[in-house]
Amino acid sequence: MARVVDSVELAGARLLPAEPRRRSAAARFIRRQPLGAAGMVLMVALLATALLADVLATHDPVRTSSHVLVAPGAEFWLGTDNLGRDLYSRVVHGARISLVIGIASTLLGAVLGGLIGLVSGYVGGTTDLLSQRVMDIMQALPILILALVLAASLGPSLPNAIVAISIPIVPRAARLIRASVLAIRELAYVEAARALGVRHPRVALRHILPNTIGPFIVLITAQLGGSILVEAALSFLGLGIPEPYPSWGRMLSIAAAEYAEKAPWLVIWPGLAISLAVFGTNLLGDALRDTLDPRLRGS
Amino acid sequence: MPLRRSVRSVRLAPVALLLVLALCVPVPAQTPKSGGVLAIHPLSAPPSLSPHEESTIATVQPASACYNNLVYFDPARKQESESSIIPELAERWSWQDGHRNLVFLLRKDVKWHDGKPFTSQDVKYTFDAVRGAPDAAAKLRVNPRKLWYENVEHIEAPDSHTVIFRLKRPQPSLLLMLASGYSPVYPAHVPLAELKTKCVGTGPYKLKDYRPGEFIEFVRNPDYFVKGRPYLDGIKWVIIKDRSTQIAALQAGQLDVAGSGWNKANAETAKKGKPALVVQESDSNVNVNVLVNFKKAPLTDARVRRAVNLALDRKAFKEGPMLGAATFGGAMLPRPAGVWGLPAAEVATLPGMGDAAKQKAEARKLLADAGFGPANPLKLTVSTRAVAIYVDPASWMVDQLRQIGIEAVLEQIETGVWHPKMTRLDFQVALNLTGIGIDDPDANFFENFKCGSQRNFSGYCSEEIDRLMTQQSETLDRAARLKLVNEIDRRLQLEGARPVLGWQKQWAVHWRHVKAYPQHENSIYNVTRFQDVWLDK
Amino acid sequence: MRGYVAKRLLIAVVTLVGMSMVIFALMRVAPGNIVDVIFESAGYVDQADKKQLERELGVDRPIVVQYTRWVAELLQGDLGKSYRYDMRAWTIIKPRLPVSLELAGLALLFSVLLGVPAGVVSAARQNRPVDYVLRVLSLAGLSMPSFWLGMVIILLFVRSVGWIPSVTYVSPLDDLRANLWQFVVPALAVGYRSSALIMRITRSAMLEVMREDYIRTARAKGQRGTLVVWRHALKNASLPVITLIGIEFAFLIGGLVVTETVFNLPGVARYLVDAIQFRDYPVVQNLVMFIAIVVVLANLAVDLLYAWVDPRIKYGRA
Repeated sequence: MARVVDSVELAGARLLPAEPRRRSAAARFIRRQPLGAAGMVLMVALLATALLADVLATHDPVRTSSHVLVAPGAEFWLGTDNLGRDLYSRVVHGARISLVIGIASTLLGAVLGGLIGLVSGYVGGTTDLLSQRVMDIMQALPILILALVLAASLGPSLPNAIVAISIPIVPRAARLIRASVLAIRELAYVEAARALGVRHPRVALRHILPNTIGPFIVLITAQLGGSILVEAALSFLGLGIPEPYPSWGRMLSIAAAEYAEKAPWLVIWPGLAISLAVFGTNLLGDALRDTLDPRLRGS
Repeated sequence: MPLRRSVRSVRLAPVALLLVLALCVPVPAQTPKSGGVLAIHPLSAPPSLSPHEESTIATVQPASACYNNLVYFDPARKQESESSIIPELAERWSWQDGHRNLVFLLRKDVKWHDGKPFTSQDVKYTFDAVRGAPDAAAKLRVNPRKLWYENVEHIEAPDSHTVIFRLKRPQPSLLLMLASGYSPVYPAHVPLAELKTKCVGTGPYKLKDYRPGEFIEFVRNPDYFVKGRPYLDGIKWVIIKDRSTQIAALQAGQLDVAGSGWNKANAETAKKGKPALVVQESDSNVNVNVLVNFKKAPLTDARVRRAVNLALDRKAFKEGPMLGAATFGGAMLPRPAGVWGLPAAEVATLPGMGDAAKQKAEARKLLADAGFGPANPLKLTVSTRAVAIYVDPASWMVDQLRQIGIEAVLEQIETGVWHPKMTRLDFQVALNLTGIGIDDPDANFFENFKCGSQRNFSGYCSEEIDRLMTQQSETLDRAARLKLVNEIDRRLQLEGARPVLGWQKQWAVHWRHVKAYPQHENSIYNVTRFQDVWLDK
Repeated sequence: MRGYVAKRLLIAVVTLVGMSMVIFALMRVAPGNIVDVIFESAGYVDQADKKQLERELGVDRPIVVQYTRWVAELLQGDLGKSYRYDMRAWTIIKPRLPVSLELAGLALLFSVLLGVPAGVVSAARQNRPVDYVLRVLSLAGLSMPSFWLGMVIILLFVRSVGWIPSVTYVSPLDDLRANLWQFVVPALAVGYRSSALIMRITRSAMLEVMREDYIRTARAKGQRGTLVVWRHALKNASLPVITLIGIEFAFLIGGLVVTETVFNLPGVARYLVDAIQFRDYPVVQNLVMFIAIVVVLANLAVDLLYAWVDPRIKYGRA
């Protein structure tokens, strides 16, 4: 925080420290945080797979065939499932699904929660008290259970799954942003801005919000992995994304119930995909946290 | 010299004689041993233990051990039919007045598990409740098979060991319905609600412990009216959700028998891991079918309905989702396993059975005639239950429809919403599984095809067919009845009333020490009394 | 201190009340009610019968009435009746509690046994290869879906040793060895993930503490390195770790849900999943409420423990 205050000037100055030239910052990042760089690579790979799924896949992921439960080979790189669908193509397209759901639900939850936290922290008083209690209530339940009940209530569909997974993120985002806001609100330069007559919303948006971006980014990267895992668990339990979307979690659920012994590739590859994707987000999230806010290191 | 040779041959002769005798004398059949607990798993966790209030085999499987019927299908005979019916609570029975009255003479030595004597009042009580008689002593909260007994006018119990079913018109099938696993006799002195969680019957086993979602445990009934039975000390139905866990449990010896709900790959996996296992495969009288909503556009157009039917390549269905294990037929289970099936030559000409490319081309043409094509594609939603055994064939179906240019999408419906949705006809096409309780036209046709029947999920209605249904139900001559049944079946297939994709097979996989394990080729519902099963340990 | 405790209690109660409303509302959002499900297993729907059943089960009363009835029952300790099985919910839940408790307990034990030493070693050897390896391992634990880990473990065990966990629950009172065999593997599967979090927190707490002046002074004074680390640092780092264990408890319960499913353990969490799938309202409501109560109580306990240990709170800064 000291860093921010030092560099501030009273009227409409830049609030983030003057950035050294981009290239050396990135190079420094890689040197200082090799794990984070590895995470970045994984994330980029995930993104690329999701975007280029149509190109990378060898078959139509939903096209059934008579080649059921074929072991990995020349034609079907990772084998086929019980309906003769190519596992490799399904895993590749699964990246798209996981990323879409992960990003959508994380952003939805984080933005919603962030707004609540911003308002709650800034306004204070009864609003704060009330919203805090609501956030406590939402956080009282384990994430999976809340998502489970939501998904069951809303029914299996893509938008419903996104909502179900985003809701548990809201209180966590709200709490984080609120803490940030509370810390910044008391600072001298904000009081000064108010004294100069800057109106509340402007203060909130121009002075406070930009300083919460650091923790916000850390939150999003961390929760992205969590969202992917929750979606996988929901689909595994049969309550997540419906057919024919090739969700990694769903692929594991069917495999688990039926063919684990006969076709172990059905268990290994989708699970590995989930793990690598989440691993990447966690590595990157860790590194970002270390860089953007050393106080939160390791927490 | 000659003497010695003849001495040698004389000494050989008795040995040879003994050998020949030994080969001629039949090896005596193994004597069944008493003792042991059979560990087996049901299809899924039963919603309750009361067969009269459920329509799932998951309930019938465990509950059968505890109850008896008036009559039953002989466990030892593979094909169920009128000639395989054996007495249980009824010692003798007889049709009177041209099959209008069915008289049962009941056993006098039967006691309920709580010690009270069994009488004809129990039979009257049970079937009055099931048929929803206005003066019934008890009412079933939920009554899925009311339709089976629609034809019963009155049930009389003139004395404590005689029961008479008086029918409105002749119906030979009634006897088979009473032999089904879905038709046990309930005790008149126990409230119906209690029978959902406990079992008071007359059967070979008494309920020991019921833990919902975990297991159902039975123990031998020492006062069973069949002396010397049952052989087992008990049965434990262990509820295991995961297919692969079921397989592993069988292989590890934690289960004696497994296979309910399995497909071919599961059976092969089990056997491959433990070659000592015995695999019993047979037909099952469960089919995968397509519900076509006759009342919803654009399926009101017969051409569209036929196109959908033609697009589904039955042979590919067998190779794909059925993993090579299926038979083809019409509305009744095909022969030889089924008694009433259409002749094989006719089955081969049904829609979807011929050359796939040609039929798909014909389907495209029909769609074009109906006004659909690349410029105006037909959009269809294929609904199905959100359960793996439904979703897999449904996904396959979606793909087949896409191949003739239909923009098909899959909609998964949850439990609890499925049947209401189907009953409301709130769907376009749906993929469905139907298990037929007994291999009998009455049990199949009225429920599924009669105008206005609650389970006629297609909205199909033909007065002509209704008339034929009643006619065949009254026909006493087997050959004449078969002709009528085939005629009905033929027409149902022609009109695509409920196209059948394939008839499933069933597997029972067990260890060698399990003896006399019954399996019927035209039903899955009527074999789990386990009165004669024994363990060779 | 008393003010602090009172405030925390009040918050806990308010949270629980709010939770009850949320849970109640959620279970009624979906189309189809329990009567539909009862008819579902019968395979047909008859409108007249349905209305009758709805009246019988009280499902047709107004929402507020149903809610108040439910809360009243809960306060009396009545966990309601399972519509699906037509049994008292408590009868079904009671034999399942020991299973879930044992699994959660063992998992927590493993997570602490694995996580704390790993965190300490990692902090003591910060930025050395050991640290990196441990951090990667723990991060991997956080990244794997626990049900996948369970499935892979089962696959390996079945293939190599031909072992599967017993399909029926064996109580530790009946056969301790068989019981442990049944629980060790799933507990490890759940515990691995929790251990990762505990390791990270322990590491960061240790790092914070080790930077403190008094540690540096102690080291400068020449006290043996390991002794310093273990005695002073660990004691002071224990507070955030305890807090985490409280939070982890909620997370563990989520982990139970999938693990009990994969390993076929007849626990409460698996029953919850079944009940959700079958829309058995009373059971779902009460189980989720039950879980919420447990979590809130666990957090309350941690808060109180915190208050007792942290002198700032204890001596009146409330």
